[in-house]
Amino acid sequence: MKKIFAAAVVLAFLSLVAGCDKGIEPEPIKTGVTGFSGKVTFIGNWPAGITRTHIFVFKNPILSSQDFSFLNLSFVIDPIPYQSQEFVFNSVDQNYILHNFGLDFKLMPGEHSYVMVAQSKTPEISFDRKDWVIVGVYCINGDQSKPKTLTILDREITAGIDIIVDFNNPPPQPPM
Amino acid sequence: MKKFFILITLLPLLVSFAQSGAIKGKVITNENEPLIHANVIIIGTQLGAATLTDGTFEIKNVPFGEYTIEASLIGYGKNKKSILLNAKTKPITIILTEEAIQSEQIVVSAGKYEQRVQDLSVSTTVLTPDDFSQKNYLTFDEALRFVPGVQMNLEQVSIRGSNGYSKGAGARVLVAANGIPLYSGDTGDIVWELIPVADIERVEIIKGPASSLYGSTAIGGVINIITRSSVKNPVTHFSSYIGAYDKPAYDIWKWNNNTRFFYGVELTHSNSVNNLSYTFSLKKFDNMGYRQNDYAKHYLGYLKLNYDFTSHNHLLFFADFLNMNRGNFLYWKDSRNALVPKDEDNGNTVKSNRLFTGLIYHHTFSKDITAEFKSSLYHTKFDGYGVELTTSTADLFRNELLTNINLSDAFVLTSGVETSYSKISSNIFKSPNFFGFGAYAQGVLKINPDLSLTFGLRYDYMKLDTLKSANAAAPKAGLNYKLTKDFILRASLGTGFRAPTPSEVFTTAAVGGGIDVKSNPDLKAETSISFEAGTLYNYSKDLLFDLAFYRNEYKNFIEPVLTNEAKIQFINLSRARIQGVELNADWSLVPGELKLKAGYNYMWARDLDKNTAMKYRPRNSVTAQLQYSPYPFEFGIDFRYMSKVEEIDFNLTQPPIALVIDGDKRVPIYVTDLNIGYNFLLGSAPAKIYLNAKNIFNYNYVEFIGNVAPIRNYSFSFEIFF
Repeated sequence: MKKIFAAAVVLAFLSLVAGCDKGIEPEPIKTGVTGFSGKVTFIGNWPAGITRTHIFVFKNPILSSQDFSFLNLSFVIDPIPYQSQEFVFNSVDQNYILHNFGLDFKLMPGEHSYVMVAQSKTPEISFDRKDWVIVGVYCINGDQSKPKTLTILDREITAGIDIIVDFNNPPPQPPM
Repeated sequence: MKKFFILITLLPLLVSFAQSGAIKGKVITNENEPLIHANVIIIGTQLGAATLTDGTFEIKNVPFGEYTIEASLIGYGKNKKSILLNAKTKPITIILTEEAIQSEQIVVSAGKYEQRVQDLSVSTTVLTPDDFSQKNYLTFDEALRFVPGVQMNLEQVSIRGSNGYSKGAGARVLVAANGIPLYSGDTGDIVWELIPVADIERVEIIKGPASSLYGSTAIGGVINIITRSSVKNPVTHFSSYIGAYDKPAYDIWKWNNNTRFFYGVELTHSNSVNNLSYTFSLKKFDNMGYRQNDYAKHYLGYLKLNYDFTSHNHLLFFADFLNMNRGNFLYWKDSRNALVPKDEDNGNTVKSNRLFTGLIYHHTFSKDITAEFKSSLYHTKFDGYGVELTTSTADLFRNELLTNINLSDAFVLTSGVETSYSKISSNIFKSPNFFGFGAYAQGVLKINPDLSLTFGLRYDYMKLDTLKSANAAAPKAGLNYKLTKDFILRASLGTGFRAPTPSEVFTTAAVGGGIDVKSNPDLKAETSISFEAGTLYNYSKDLLFDLAFYRNEYKNFIEPVLTNEAKIQFINLSRARIQGVELNADWSLVPGELKLKAGYNYMWARDLDKNTAMKYRPRNSVTAQLQYSPYPFEFGIDFRYMSKVEEIDFNLTQPPIALVIDGDKRVPIYVTDLNIGYNFLLGSAPAKIYLNAKNIFNYNYVEFIGNVAPIRNYSFSFEIFF
């Protein structure tokens, strides 16, 4: 009888442990939108043969060609029309991955180390580092060699992400 | 006058003493098989009898009266029955339930010949048919979730962390029926619904690499399903169940107003005619599913023939056919729609047909030499209907010649050769061919009654389509030392290998959400070095402990990863290490009535390249099963726990891919199941009913991202043997 009682106690304990928690819960509904907005200003003449110009956001700095990868990518803005002098953008309406690939690609709250404008001459979009030339960087005090971290807050739009592209004075190029 | 009065008063008593009769009856198993040489006694008397070959007994010259009859047999629990003996008493039936002692059980999987568990150099667990019928497991793999050291990630089995989750591709646990592998020729996956549960005699689980005997797929262990031996008397088994899922834990998850049922019916008949015995079974089982587009409809047909040419040689043939039509639930829409698939996957279906046939010819040359020839064909065909049609047809042929030779009383040599060939026609795996050849030998040397050593070596040659051929040699050494008859030490050291399957090398299918799988023709075979040391300790005849430490070092471990091009590809990790400790206890608190089985496994699985945990491997897991069986009732409670897995496919759950919204939601797993059973006789036929409640606390968890495990459900099952 003592053994049965002991077994019942074990059973009750297990039941208590298991019964206290419901496990996975639905995520609460969130209101508001998360994103960023800003303006790109172009100075000088556009190079010939450019097939695409995009604003890219990378999670981590581009320290090697391996970092220029889809897995390090935080966001891509829709293409900037050729010969534009000024391009006003916001990530909510201009989600290139969503529009072009149909992926539900969301910008995550947090810090993103590298925001830049890059141009390519390839017919299809490529993630090969050598296919891209960086022409403008979101930077500290206009010093394009010092990328500024983009901080995204949950359900808020971070405005003022302005980038200057000076075709006569290109920024330092990350490793190929 | 006074004497006459006394005589009249005592007359009825004297008459009753003068009358006597015989208590007749039959002792059978709970599956209506007669038990021979069972001991039947009348408690409180010297009277008794033993059962004959047909299970019947007769105790003669028993004075009329009330008695309690007790039947017993080694390996079975005792059972009592009350009886009022008079002129009208009919024969009685007493049912005994098998109650094997784990350490004394006989297994054939560890050495490809019969050995006691306590004589092995590797960890072993044995499951019996009762483990399946009591719990009304809908498919075979549900039972594995309660085996310590065994983990299921959806349908993919892992022994001591051997597998993560890769949609069934590239199993590292060899699942076999009577020693014949059950993996398919294309994906190498296991389809658990194919296993004929009604014909299972026992399931042997070898926890640890067995490549030195079984080759490539056994790098993580072996699950060998042993089917029942032939019967001499006709037995028909009918079983049926019906169950339903409860409401989801959150109203927001409710996607359908109808009760979601699952049900099944199976009829099995076994008999023998002269030297031929046969078993056939038909089963229909459906599940509406607790999730949208997660239904499954199955037909299973099974035939087994056994022909005894003489007492020394026999031929066994079996054929197993499964037709399956199911929805294809890949990932939830999000955690607010956890029981609904992503829009683009909704409506995806898979239709498949599988035929598994095997032929085993056993010949006993002498008491010291036996040989077996095994041949099998596994035909699989599936068509997946989604955005695009995926289709694959594969035929896997296998042949094996096995010999067991007792070279002396102290040395048993097992050796064999086997070949396998698979032919695939598919629009997602290319259409490759595979050829494999293996030769193995394993010797068990008994140095003295307490010490035995095992040595084994296997060589394999593998050629996958146009890829360069590969060779592998897998040596193994083992030790079993009985310090005392109750304290046994064991240790094993060996290497293992696993060749990549066609699906891991050649798959080029889309997995949804714009993500493709990319082929990798450069994929190499993975290898491992494994060590295990353990002890088996019989504290008393009612309490058994089994403790094991294990460590597996892998090179070129094959895992799916997301490449820089955002494609899933199977690659070789250069180094991985899985080590841990497993402790199991088997305790008969009240012999024959109250039993507790418990197990704990601590596992440390690391990708040594990245110094991170390996995906989908929990660090801690606990199982506990308490069974109280005061005949004719049975009450059981099963509990299992697994700690929250550290690593999952984060690339699929986080930007930039974010294929599965809220996919990184995961929790520790706590699952509690209850079962209540009642044994009775319907006429003279033993029957059982069971009520099962699974996941009684309706705890929500995932085994793989975006896949909530079965919610609380109830079922009623009935079975009868006649």
